Amino acid sequence: MKSGDLFRKILLASAISFALTSAPLMAAVTDQDIANDATTTNDVVSYGLGLQGQRFSPLDKLNAETVKNLVPAFVLSYGDEKQRGQEAQPLVHNGKIFVTASYSRVFTVDAKTGEELWQYDHRLPDGILPCCDVVNRGGALYDNLFIFATLDAQLVALDQDTGKVVWKEKMEDYKAGYSNTAAPIIVNGKVITGVSGGEFGIVGKVEARDAKTGKLIWMRPTVEGHMGTLDGKDNGITGETNKSWPGDLWKTGGAATWLGGTYDAETNTLFFGTGNPAPWNSHLRPGDNLYSSSVLAINPDDGKIKWSYQWTPHDGWDFDGVNEFVSFDLKQADGKVIKAGGHADRNGFFYVLDRTNGQLISANPFVNKITWAKGIDLKTGRPEYDDANRPGAPTGADKGQSVFAAPSFLGGKNWMPIAYNPGTDLFYVPSNEWGMDIWNEPISYKKGAAYLGAGFTIKPLNEDYIGALRAMDPKTGKIVWEAKNKAPLWGGVLTTAGNLVFTGTPEGYLKAFDAKTGQELWKFQTGSGVVGCPITWEQDGEQFVAVPSGWGGAVPLWGGEVAKSVKHLNQGGSLWVFKLPKTPA
Amino acid sequence: MRPLFALLLITLLSPWGWAAEPDALKSPQWEFVHKRFLNGEPYQFDGKVKVEAPADAEDSLNVPISFQVEDLESIQEIVVVADLNPIPQVLRFRPKEMRPHLGFRMKLQQGSPIHVAAKTADGLWHVGGVWVNAAGGGCTLPSVGTASGDWTKTLGKVSANVWQRPDGSNRLRVRVMHPMDTGLASGIPTFHIENLNVLAEDNKVLAELDLFEPISENPMLSFDVNRQTQFRLEGRDNNGNRIQAEVAQ
Repeated sequence: MKSGDLFRKILLASAISFALTSAPLMAAVTDQDIANDATTTNDVVSYGLGLQGQRFSPLDKLNAETVKNLVPAFVLSYGDEKQRGQEAQPLVHNGKIFVTASYSRVFTVDAKTGEELWQYDHRLPDGILPCCDVVNRGGALYDNLFIFATLDAQLVALDQDTGKVVWKEKMEDYKAGYSNTAAPIIVNGKVITGVSGGEFGIVGKVEARDAKTGKLIWMRPTVEGHMGTLDGKDNGITGETNKSWPGDLWKTGGAATWLGGTYDAETNTLFFGTGNPAPWNSHLRPGDNLYSSSVLAINPDDGKIKWSYQWTPHDGWDFDGVNEFVSFDLKQADGKVIKAGGHADRNGFFYVLDRTNGQLISANPFVNKITWAKGIDLKTGRPEYDDANRPGAPTGADKGQSVFAAPSFLGGKNWMPIAYNPGTDLFYVPSNEWGMDIWNEPISYKKGAAYLGAGFTIKPLNEDYIGALRAMDPKTGKIVWEAKNKAPLWGGVLTTAGNLVFTGTPEGYLKAFDAKTGQELWKFQTGSGVVGCPITWEQDGEQFVAVPSGWGGAVPLWGGEVAKSVKHLNQGGSLWVFKLPKTPA
Repeated sequence: MRPLFALLLITLLSPWGWAAEPDALKSPQWEFVHKRFLNGEPYQFDGKVKVEAPADAEDSLNVPISFQVEDLESIQEIVVVADLNPIPQVLRFRPKEMRPHLGFRMKLQQGSPIHVAAKTADGLWHVGGVWVNAAGGGCTLPSVGTASGDWTKTLGKVSANVWQRPDGSNRLRVRVMHPMDTGLASGIPTFHIENLNVLAEDNKVLAELDLFEPISENPMLSFDVNRQTQFRLEGRDNNGNRIQAEVAQ
């Protein structure tokens, strides 16, 4: 028996070493895979289909002619009673589809059959404090890991094959109002994340960790006066203490980085948007309140700020500046190409900036009604405020003068990501037409309690529609086409070389539009509102499209009068996958 | 390569006439338990593996079990399985520098055989067991900590005791606060300690434990250690929450 035993051990050992050397080579996601994500068509390994966030696929099998043949391949139910907003963007790699769901859950299915391979349900404390539904927007793939952030502000790395926790790091204290819903991104081996909690007087920050271990590398606060770190050592204060904030208010200044960020390899720059300054009542904090409602260009190597641009200085309307900044080539009439970035802000303006230095190139409305500012001055880069439409200061214990402001604080566009198509040179913006009555109230900071100092009601601006998917020409700032929708749009956009634009509606449809004309070409009813982000990829010679379905998000929670147009919508929780069959049925 | 490998395995295993021996507890699940948790490897029922448990469980959420393996050398691993539990595997214990003895509490969904199998260096599993009657329901109820919401305040906290046994060696008892939710109660995801290692002061590993869902809430574990009086505990749950503690007499 002895010799037999030995032989068996050797056999086993050789089998193990075989597995160790070959498996990761096939499965591991590399920095190169992520850098190439925008151009490779057989996988989707990053949030935004490439870190620039263009959400453009070069696939064209599915196009304006063939999209009528797009049919469901399979559907996964998330089950459980936790049917809340499903805002995630799925990822596809190595024959698996990875998707996050409400309540910090992760599902992985076989990309061929749709059969569930594993599910991870993060254990959440009862006391979590998410402001706006218990959503999650997606994960990141790196090496053999699926990394995502949770509602109790933890960062969890799961084994792609088993769903087992490989590492977990606490990002912040959920009891102080921190949470996390955004998809992390991976830049050169670092996992880059922001934080949520701007409604609770937290301090926003961007963090970079070793993606394989979770170890913190650098941290950059987004509010002026706070110290950043690199490798555990001080790495300079953000901005200049008290330059644009009075007294101690910067200590609870908000500017949450709750939507994560994008990355441009050409300039080696991270772009992270920042949320509203806290509290909402702007009269308490004279000054620009840097770097709230801004975009920060950050060096991913050390967390230093390269430049910043403030969309809404001294924000008094909760015009979060977190919306994604999408790198693209701005082609000018003289043939010159400017390294630019496009951004559709909550405040109703579509901005084009030079992404090498943050200089404003243009800012034009992408919604029909803007009352808080008359325009953006291209010389100074600052808004021309209409002071009559800033909510007044509270007097004593009484609320201040109420004003009607448009857009509402839910924004001309909210979190749902835009897409840019280099073929049509157009941005596709899921926008909403609504305004709000807003007033200020006395407020003081208390840990873990809402820190707004404002009251509000949201009102639709039109009887027949709130949502409008709009094509914006970044060269002219003009709206090229629009497709109206009764309920507010709340889902992400995808565009393809097949001249298509995909987005979902709260009414339950995933729709495809002609990218040049806006003509609706195809729609499918998924059974619940679509507020997630569609993706596309190629598998066994067929083009696939996937999108989560499940109504929820901030609209039903905060929507005021808008609730009338959405209260009949049913909740859900599923991943829909479609394909264009090789031979149409 | 693969057919040859399988052939070899059968040849290697055949001398023991594996899976031929009937289970003294007449467990309807024994064949499955053998295949799934003992990897279908050779075994024998063996009186050297002694299992103590009440004949009738008073509390299905906290059934006290203890086992001692006597007169067997170089034990690689000990597996505890409750054959009729919806999640049968209870724990795996690898005593390295301590006696192959363990006391713990577990949840029972219904009356069930409790099998304890100890694998010796020659690859043979030595199996003992008892039958415990239980009113049932232990695995499908929410833990007390989860139902009350208190679990976040105490998660991962450790309390411990060390005392001397008559022969001069020591007994170590630890309790780790954790809901140990099985995932079978409606709407409550699986949440349990996955592993727990007992280390000496000098970081030498004395024993490794893999714990599974059937272990009772706030696991209480008794180890028969040697003469050490200071210990370290290290472990993790399935959410990646770490357990770390130092124990001194």
